[in-house]
Amino acid sequence: MNGTVNGQPLLSVTDLRVGFATQRGLVRAVDGVSFDLFAGKTLGIVGESGSGKSVTAKTLMNLLPSYARVEGSVMFDGRDVRELAAQKEKHFWGVEMTMIFQDPMTSLNPVKKVGEQIAESLRVHLGRSRKEARDEAGDLLETVGIPEARKRLSQYPHELSGGLRQRVVIAMALACSPRLLIADEPTTALDVTVQKHILDLLDELREERGMAMILITHDLGVVKGRTDDIMVMYAGRTMEQADTATLFSTMRHPYTEALLETIPRIDMPSHTRLVPIPGRPPDLIDIAPGCPFAPRCRYSVDACVVECPSLEGHGTAHVCACHKPVGTEAGIAARAANEQQGTTPTGLDMGLFEGAGSRSGTGAGN
Amino acid sequence: MAGSGTIQLRDDDDIVLRVENLVVEFPVGRHQVVHAVSDLSFDVRRGETLGIVGESGCGKSTTARAIVQIPRPTSGTVVLDPGSDREAELTALHGESLREVRPRLQMIFQDPISSLNPRRFVRDIVAEGLAIWQKDHSGPHSQARIDEVLEAVGIDPEVAATRRPHEFSGGQCQRISIARAVALDPEILVCDEPVSALDVSVQAQILNILEDMKQRYGLTLLFISHDLSVVRNVSDRVVVMYLGKICEIGAADTLYSSPAHPYTRVLLASAPEPAPTVDPSDAAIGDEIPSPINPPSGCRFRTRGPRATDLCAAEEPQVQQLGEDHFVACHFPTLG
Repeated sequence: MNGTVNGQPLLSVTDLRVGFATQRGLVRAVDGVSFDLFAGKTLGIVGESGSGKSVTAKTLMNLLPSYARVEGSVMFDGRDVRELAAQKEKHFWGVEMTMIFQDPMTSLNPVKKVGEQIAESLRVHLGRSRKEARDEAGDLLETVGIPEARKRLSQYPHELSGGLRQRVVIAMALACSPRLLIADEPTTALDVTVQKHILDLLDELREERGMAMILITHDLGVVKGRTDDIMVMYAGRTMEQADTATLFSTMRHPYTEALLETIPRIDMPSHTRLVPIPGRPPDLIDIAPGCPFAPRCRYSVDACVVECPSLEGHGTAHVCACHKPVGTEAGIAARAANEQQGTTPTGLDMGLFEGAGSRSGTGAGN
Repeated sequence: MAGSGTIQLRDDDDIVLRVENLVVEFPVGRHQVVHAVSDLSFDVRRGETLGIVGESGCGKSTTARAIVQIPRPTSGTVVLDPGSDREAELTALHGESLREVRPRLQMIFQDPISSLNPRRFVRDIVAEGLAIWQKDHSGPHSQARIDEVLEAVGIDPEVAATRRPHEFSGGQCQRISIARAVALDPEILVCDEPVSALDVSVQAQILNILEDMKQRYGLTLLFISHDLSVVRNVSDRVVVMYLGKICEIGAADTLYSSPAHPYTRVLLASAPEPAPTVDPSDAAIGDEIPSPINPPSGCRFRTRGPRATDLCAAEEPQVQQLGEDHFVACHFPTLG
């Protein structure tokens, strides 16, 4: 995707697979994911819980438990990240690549002052003295927009509000001027007004510093105005991937469409009937041979149950894994046939969508 | 915001819940008090859904809990079925007489898994209310009722008889909570962030079920959420709260299409996809909420309000009427 910007991607993930051995069998949490990310760009990864988006991020950050089975390649600026992990490289994670998490309370040590927590990585990774590190920590708190930054250095996390804590976490992540910042649901635990401020701040910092960013969320609305590219994941696989504008104007995957239609929009009149996504995500242990979304899909045909579609191109830099993509002749025909029959080949009752499917077929945004 | 007053109360025969001058305070430390809810008044018509929206700490959950009397409010009145022969003033009731009113008011909570007893079979959980309130709880009438409510939320009653909550997903557990609440045929269902812990694909299923249950059983809903889009979708009428006070109340579509209170405008402009009716610059305010221990004088929103004047600091705005069903508590509302 996006192959024109200064040659080499900063991060290149190829056919990543992550499995966890359990008593019931191997859980395939990530099942063949590939993407490139260029410096200064933002990639949004969207999906429900269990889609593999957080496991993907943790794999990049080398945070998986030792029993995880990882395959595939992760290259960061010409360096093999999995090789670095094997060599127990100390000054890569937290320096070149950092991550912030959903819950700012549990990301911070409750019995250590915030200044010390920020200074710690400056001292460990960059060899700063105590005093230098403390001064720099104060500067960082100012950078992330914390009022009375110097005073906050000697406060404990519990003395700060949720929004301020998340700013402290961002300051920690920025301490060593990373080239890639991974933000895993950074605003899910925060109020809507604070969410906007944090997302705006991340965007400004990325712009200023030329960082690349991966923004992981379950909310398509959050990534809409703030990413260059979007990857939609389901059951550990990439369902659709495109630049943000293309994804919203001509989405091809039924799952992307369903996700967008199922969320109430703020400009929808009250009591608009929502389009549910029936059923629930599949078990990742005994994965059926077909498309993982087929049992919940309005467009499914017999082939979807038998054969898993591969990612195929739809125009430049737009890929989608579907036999009957939304908005194509094949897709329109498949959905019409299911509607006529009243049920899909997987036994899904099309009546579930009645009274709700009247909105625009492609689910295009405004 | 900040305002007080009771002009927004409607003179209507079919009011099922009337909350007047509700105050909830919690003592903390040396003679200090958290002013969680201060002088809040609203009513809910039978069959209506009232949404309450605001940031964390605005008192929306405290309001819900004060209505069901857990814990009791510091002052104010909560009246069920005012003016009818079933009228009950909850804050005046105690002991057995309060207990007898409880089936008329049921509640569902944010975390569906922790609100169900992990050791009991799901069917027994749903049946418990009937077991407590009906003498023939093992009789065919009660059994049929349990089957009916479970089927209404899409849970197989036979499966429910042999399984415990951990064998169901979060969305299914929330359906079970709804079935348990509805089994007693309540008048009002209080929903405190019922979809906030659920995945987006499951959220729509639950919201649609709540709409269906409302139609089927003639329920009145009090729906509390921080999600503006969800609140608009389910509500007929919406209350916007800030620091324990009412900012704006009105018909859902009116309030979203012509928001008059600066705080409502901030919320609408801060949404991930801002509402088209506000300017994106409306979102530009500080993100720190003042302490509810020492709330600002006058209008409690003035410290974050973009147009606050000396008047806002000196005098608390009273709720005033803007349109047929549109009320705002602000000295300088946006009109139009």
